[in-house]
Amino acid sequence: MKRFLSLFGHKPELTQAQAARLAAWKAMPPPKLDTDFAASRYVVVDVETSGLNLARDRLIAIGAVAVSDGEIHLADSMEIVVQQQRVSDHDNILIHGIGGTAQAEGVPPAEAMLTFLEYLGRSPLIAFHVTFDKTMIDRALKAGLGLAFKHPWSDLAYVAPALYPELASSKHSLDDWMGRFGISNYARHSALADALSTAELMLALRERMRARHVGNFRNLVHLEKAQRMTNWAG
Amino acid sequence: MATPNSLLLATADQLARFAPFDSMAREHLLWLALRLRLDYYARGEVVLGPEAGPAEIFYIIKQGAIHGEQDVARAQNANDWLELHEGECFPLGALLSRRAVASTYRAGQDTFCFELAAADFRELLKRSEAFHDFCTRRLANLLEQSKQVIQAEYAKSSSEQQSMSSTLASLIRGEPVTCAPETPLRQVLGTMHRLGIGSMVAVDAHGKPLGIFTLHDLLHRVVLAGIGLDVPFHVVMSPEPETLPPHALAHDAALTMAKRGFRHILVAENGRLQGLISEKDLFSLQRVGLRQISGAIRGADHLDKLKHSANDIRQLAHNMLAQGVATEQFTQILSTLNDLLTKRTIELELRDDPAAGLSFCWLALGAEGRMEQTLGSEQHNGIVFAAREGEDAEAIRSLLLPFAKRVNLALAQYGFPLSPNAAMASHAQWCLSLQEWKHICVGWFARGDALDQTTIFLDLRPVAGAEPLALELRTWLATAATPRFLGQMTTHALRHTPPQGSVLDFFAGKGGTLDIERNGSALFVDAARVLSLAAGGGQTTPERLRAGCAALSIGTQDAQAWCDAYLFIQLLRLRLHQEGHGIDPDKLNGLDKRILREAFRQARKLQVRLAQVVRE
Repeated sequence: MKRFLSLFGHKPELTQAQAARLAAWKAMPPPKLDTDFAASRYVVVDVETSGLNLARDRLIAIGAVAVSDGEIHLADSMEIVVQQQRVSDHDNILIHGIGGTAQAEGVPPAEAMLTFLEYLGRSPLIAFHVTFDKTMIDRALKAGLGLAFKHPWSDLAYVAPALYPELASSKHSLDDWMGRFGISNYARHSALADALSTAELMLALRERMRARHVGNFRNLVHLEKAQRMTNWAG
Repeated sequence: MATPNSLLLATADQLARFAPFDSMAREHLLWLALRLRLDYYARGEVVLGPEAGPAEIFYIIKQGAIHGEQDVARAQNANDWLELHEGECFPLGALLSRRAVASTYRAGQDTFCFELAAADFRELLKRSEAFHDFCTRRLANLLEQSKQVIQAEYAKSSSEQQSMSSTLASLIRGEPVTCAPETPLRQVLGTMHRLGIGSMVAVDAHGKPLGIFTLHDLLHRVVLAGIGLDVPFHVVMSPEPETLPPHALAHDAALTMAKRGFRHILVAENGRLQGLISEKDLFSLQRVGLRQISGAIRGADHLDKLKHSANDIRQLAHNMLAQGVATEQFTQILSTLNDLLTKRTIELELRDDPAAGLSFCWLALGAEGRMEQTLGSEQHNGIVFAAREGEDAEAIRSLLLPFAKRVNLALAQYGFPLSPNAAMASHAQWCLSLQEWKHICVGWFARGDALDQTTIFLDLRPVAGAEPLALELRTWLATAATPRFLGQMTTHALRHTPPQGSVLDFFAGKGGTLDIERNGSALFVDAARVLSLAAGGGQTTPERLRAGCAALSIGTQDAQAWCDAYLFIQLLRLRLHQEGHGIDPDKLNGLDKRILREAFRQARKLQVRLAQVVRE
């Protein structure tokens, strides 16, 4: 019944402490999009889910790596497994490797999403194929915290071909781009490892960004928009 | 931090695949991972250069490759003299001495580097002994690790390992059993029997060793000699026994035993007996003992027996590698045994031979002369003989050549291949009188047209026969070398350079292999020879490097690094001797490749230094 209600925007129950933490996050100053990359923090994120269906599948894990002042700080990284009422199916587990027990023993949704928000602060988000990550995170925040998550995102799946038009027709997936820059991955399809690879891709793209005067997050969003137009027109 | 997340754990895991991180405690690796930042450098981008001032960041390569270029003028040039790969770190020297780096570090391909702030680097030095150890003695440390790997490879079957660099003091098993020289032999033998010991040392009132007697001596000195048991001990003992100080190394004792045919060495300090070292103590597990081999060689009355001994030498060599005997000592022991082998062969071949009455000296040349012969290297030898006024050198030579031919063939049978086009005593041009040699050398020095032969000859060492002839020749050579000739020798020494570029390029030489002699050890050997001729002395390459550097005020640290590098290459050659001079990259582990690159870097440094010295 509770699950059913939540589909209709039922407000999840938060403890007092949790409500206070959520309020504190909401009270933070909005993201600064015009600060130079060399002096700002942004967070590269990747998610694991119970499947690829945006409407039906659930968020299982978030991995995130922060890039601060142009460098990845290994300690400023997080990974969290969200507790599942229902364990995802066998084939799905084989992809991300988060087993049934781990899923059941994950962090309860409200707590998990609060942890994510507090780690994120108001830093802008970056991902590869944002639509997927964004949809899953938005929905989990709505369900877990009742939060309508309005946050700046940038999608490297559009940024990379915008910077390397000569490769746009041959490089599509994260793996393609990792191959181009010799980026390795210590555990592909683990959220944190994929977030790290995406962050490394972001660093590798910086050389062309400098050449194109893409120096801050707002420039990045513009570049992405232009590429979306190109794709749509082209 | 409660539990490190998978990224930090994976980072620690990745680092732990490489030295020095592989010997660091897990907690220190996690401490490190927590403080690492990750940055990217596009191909060609400069990571760090001299103009950046004192080094502030410690870099560990996560993936990719970094090239070090010694000066800006050479930047972009393909002649990178340093290349670093995944798991390797830089700049150690600059960080430790808080100075700017001397080279420009540039990404050779798209490269990700872990970066640690200098303050954290210093903190890690304090926390982790393994890390500190590595940073302060990089090459020495890698060599140590490599040696352990080799020992493990060779010593799978042996349970106990005896380092040849242990001091004798550490090998003494207990108080020596002694007696007064007047003690009746019967009483001494009773004591030996009761205590189950094989030898007895007679000492005076001050503990000074006067003589030694072993059970081995019982047969011929007492029983066969028909001596009664009531004689005093001093009648049958070997007087004035050989002693070594307690700080002498096991290696020294082994050499003395081999050279003199002893089975025991007395350890004495300030004239007082401290203990007794037996051959068994030195080679407790060896099936083939050093003294046994040298004894067998001395006693051999037929070439077939010597051939057998040659096999034993190989077996012993294998055992010594297993025991972790240092390369320098290893090759010296090997040379000593090979010398004995040659000497005995010469003695046997001279029996009833017309050459027997001649005054001549058999010379070891080239690697054998430097006491650096590896297993299976070609034989290089020659003869110097005396020809007095009025004597016909040609006639003497005609007596010597058939004999030399037999010795050369015998050595080939022992596993030292003939060198048909190079120095062999049975070639008429390598069997000369003292005067002829001087004449030839004056020509060589003046023209500089036979440098390969000259260099082989300059390594000469007497092995058998009239040593004074060889020594006179050697003294004369040192004074006869002209500055112009030294210049030519230097050019010759610099004609080959160490391999450069990426690891794979190393092996692009011939058929996918690297000539480890021509482009490796020979670089050190040739440079050391010039240094020794110009300033120093010394017979082996490390001796020459140390002596030459001392005479030319080159830092001992440099000299030691060059010796280490050279000895490592020699060790590789020993291990891979089946493959000849070519090294197959697949045979090397990551550690070896890395040390080899460092050794090549040292070779380049040595060459640069040699060129400077000669220009001055």
